[in-house]
Amino acid sequence: MAVRKRRATSNKIDEYFEDMERWAEQVRETFTEKPSWDLENCAIEPLRDMTVTPREVIVTVDLPYAEKKTVQVKAVDAASLEILAEMKRKIRLHELGVTYREGVIQRFHSWIHIPVRVDMQKMKVQQKKGILEIKLPRKR
Amino acid sequence: MSEDVRIIEREKIPTDATLIFAFPDVGLVGVIAASHLIDELRMTEVAYLDSKLLPPVIVLHEGLPHFSVRIFAGQGTLLAVSEVPIPSDVIYPIVDALVSWGKSRKVKMMISLSGIPIEDRQDVTELKSFAAASNADVLKVAREKGIEILTEGYMVGPQAVVLQRAVESGSPALTLLAQCFFNYPDPEAAAELLKSLSKITGLKVNVAKLLEKGEEIRLRARDVMKRTQQEMTKMKKGQEYDIPMYVS
Repeated sequence: MAVRKRRATSNKIDEYFEDMERWAEQVRETFTEKPSWDLENCAIEPLRDMTVTPREVIVTVDLPYAEKKTVQVKAVDAASLEILAEMKRKIRLHELGVTYREGVIQRFHSWIHIPVRVDMQKMKVQQKKGILEIKLPRKR
Repeated sequence: MSEDVRIIEREKIPTDATLIFAFPDVGLVGVIAASHLIDELRMTEVAYLDSKLLPPVIVLHEGLPHFSVRIFAGQGTLLAVSEVPIPSDVIYPIVDALVSWGKSRKVKMMISLSGIPIEDRQDVTELKSFAAASNADVLKVAREKGIEILTEGYMVGPQAVVLQRAVESGSPALTLLAQCFFNYPDPEAAAELLKSLSKITGLKVNVAKLLEKGEEIRLRARDVMKRTQQEMTKMKKGQEYDIPMYVS
């Protein structure tokens, strides 16, 4: 997942940390590349994004085909969120063009690590156009 | 054309066509639009690009292999589309080869389809399209067709190279950009882009089916989007958000 800092002023320190984040992301992907689905739990990992501003952390999650009323956002601990959402119907892997194995997907499931201190109690959640948006104020 | 990149023609190539480019980019807008265009205009594959500069990937369809960068034709239009993101370090030779090939086939105009990311995309109900062009005459055509001009800003990626090469060779070229998500597949933006393409080319494209299948497309495109994100990071695509500083 890309973690982006909103560009108010760009300086060398910001760029250095952005490069480090990209490098860390590449290393993580090298070691953990695997299918986006988990057939044991009939789940698929959604696309997600995170923006860290001086005041808050904004997490968005793309949930196409999700049943809006089933979307759950749980604060697992001070720095982790769990996202769960059921799909409107079961989708066979064959429908997604995966023909070399059988299986169905019926939910989205994702764990998200928040890289800075936030106040989970003041979390605000909204959904628009199948995009889940979570706003977490930062702790001083 | 570079020896590292070859365009192999499988069918007769129509002359005086409009050559459209669509590469995986922000919101996969260009590729989603291209896929719909192929279906709607019943375009057929006429050529493909072969290069050892690209990752060793083929795309299987009905058990048969296809190259990842292919050229389709139909209704006086050529469409070059890539199903995998072009690695940032080979964008120049790949785009150079496609543009040179287009010129050798005497295309009348080149049009790149892409997106322009906006941070509050989920709050926007009416998306806008913008145009940038290789010369003032093409820009005037876009303006007369009611498309807003991207007057200032940065463009990063294959569509930037298409414009560069078109300027160098004096060829007419246009880039159409629809407001879109940065990191999420955006079929609505693709539909908006196709409306602008229709205004420019006169092609009749019904986008109703594209909008109807929007959620399915978003789900199917998630893995391509993820790989595209990695290449966008490498090519510093985020620069398109920057406040431009034009040095006059």
